[in-house]
Amino acid sequence: MPTPQKLSTLINEIDATIRNRFAGNTFWIKAEITDVKKQPDKQWCFLKFIEKDGNTITTEMKAVFWSNAYYNIVAFEKETQQVFVSGLEITCNVRVRFHKRYGIDLEVLEIDFAYAVGKLELERKQILDRLVRDNPAIQLLSNGNYATPNKQALLPTVFKSIALITAPNSDGQRDFNKVIDHNKYGYAFAVTPFLTTIQGDTASLLILQQLQLIAASKIHFDVVVIVRGGGSDIDFKSFNDYELAKTIALFPIPILTGIGHDRNTSIADLMARQLKTPTEVATFILENNMSFEREIEILKERFFYSIDKALKEAATALTGYRQRVKNLHPTTILNKGFAIVKMNNKIITNPQNINTGDEIQVILKTETIYSIITKKLKNEPTTNI
Amino acid sequence: MNQQLTFDTAFSELKKLVNQIEDDEIQLDTLAEKVNEANELIQFCESKLRTIKTETAKQS
Repeated sequence: MPTPQKLSTLINEIDATIRNRFAGNTFWIKAEITDVKKQPDKQWCFLKFIEKDGNTITTEMKAVFWSNAYYNIVAFEKETQQVFVSGLEITCNVRVRFHKRYGIDLEVLEIDFAYAVGKLELERKQILDRLVRDNPAIQLLSNGNYATPNKQALLPTVFKSIALITAPNSDGQRDFNKVIDHNKYGYAFAVTPFLTTIQGDTASLLILQQLQLIAASKIHFDVVVIVRGGGSDIDFKSFNDYELAKTIALFPIPILTGIGHDRNTSIADLMARQLKTPTEVATFILENNMSFEREIEILKERFFYSIDKALKEAATALTGYRQRVKNLHPTTILNKGFAIVKMNNKIITNPQNINTGDEIQVILKTETIYSIITKKLKNEPTTNI
Repeated sequence: MNQQLTFDTAFSELKKLVNQIEDDEIQLDTLAEKVNEANELIQFCESKLRTIKTETAKQS
């Protein structure tokens, strides 16, 4: 047996060989990440890269982000709207390192966001295509929006009974309730909370189960509200799930979503009526009821205006009638110097009934004159009345 | 008043009354009655907006 050498001699040789081959070089690789351990306080992240054949891991290598590259993880989460966790496939630039005590690993220098975003976009498109392909009730419109039975479900005239899906004690729940409770109009709502985790891998299934509970509930709901609090800008994965999106699209009660911000539109949003934030959803509900009350106010004004008008017209007409009656009263006529002619106590309107020699009474304002007819002549146009 | 009154029916009833009065279809004799009806409908909507009735059964 040859004389054994020291461990360090061998390791030094390995080190030199690796250095010789890899020093100064960086490499772009594509791999799945696992065992991700982020340490935001130190700005480090330890992880492993793996490659699989089916479910068997065939290749594995330790890797690390140091503080000079840690911003990549923060940016990745912001750009892709998903958490940097095990299971993701990323494309990144690495350097091979060898340490005599800790062995070989890869130091990550940069992540290719475009690849990650592109991959997400592709997955999203595939899910949307599948929704349309497998569900005739879901249609892609020429303007890029989707027509779904849920979006077409009529909104109630007034919202009263609300099913609220959100995470317990979340900002979303608080923001929504803040606007709804003690609103300045005094509108009352019955809000039934359906609380569940709405982030993470199982969230889509949990949200779906809440929807099933709502559908099976004995309570009649006017609307279902799904809200997610501010602050959590990342992890929309659960809202891009095929089964959840399909359930939302076909759900019979109108759904209002407030799960993102300006730049986030999840697939779930596309299947329902999307508002940006929990506050906006609550405001939408209030404004709907306000607009109903305004219409009632307008009808009320029109009604009482017309009632008022009708009464005034009736009063005016009555005054007119009274004047006419007064004008036609015999006293009024006698006051004006006219006389009434009577014979046998009957008013004579037709002179043919009077003959020469008849006795008539001519009633004036203050006296009645009894006269015998001595002569009758027809009035000529020239007769001076 | 009808116990089954909803926002929708109250609204359409009120609208009907308004149309009737605007088209002079209401006799003066029945005016008071119509005013009462309208007041009740308005009162119904305004108070229902502001109260919660626990609904135990689904309206189909």
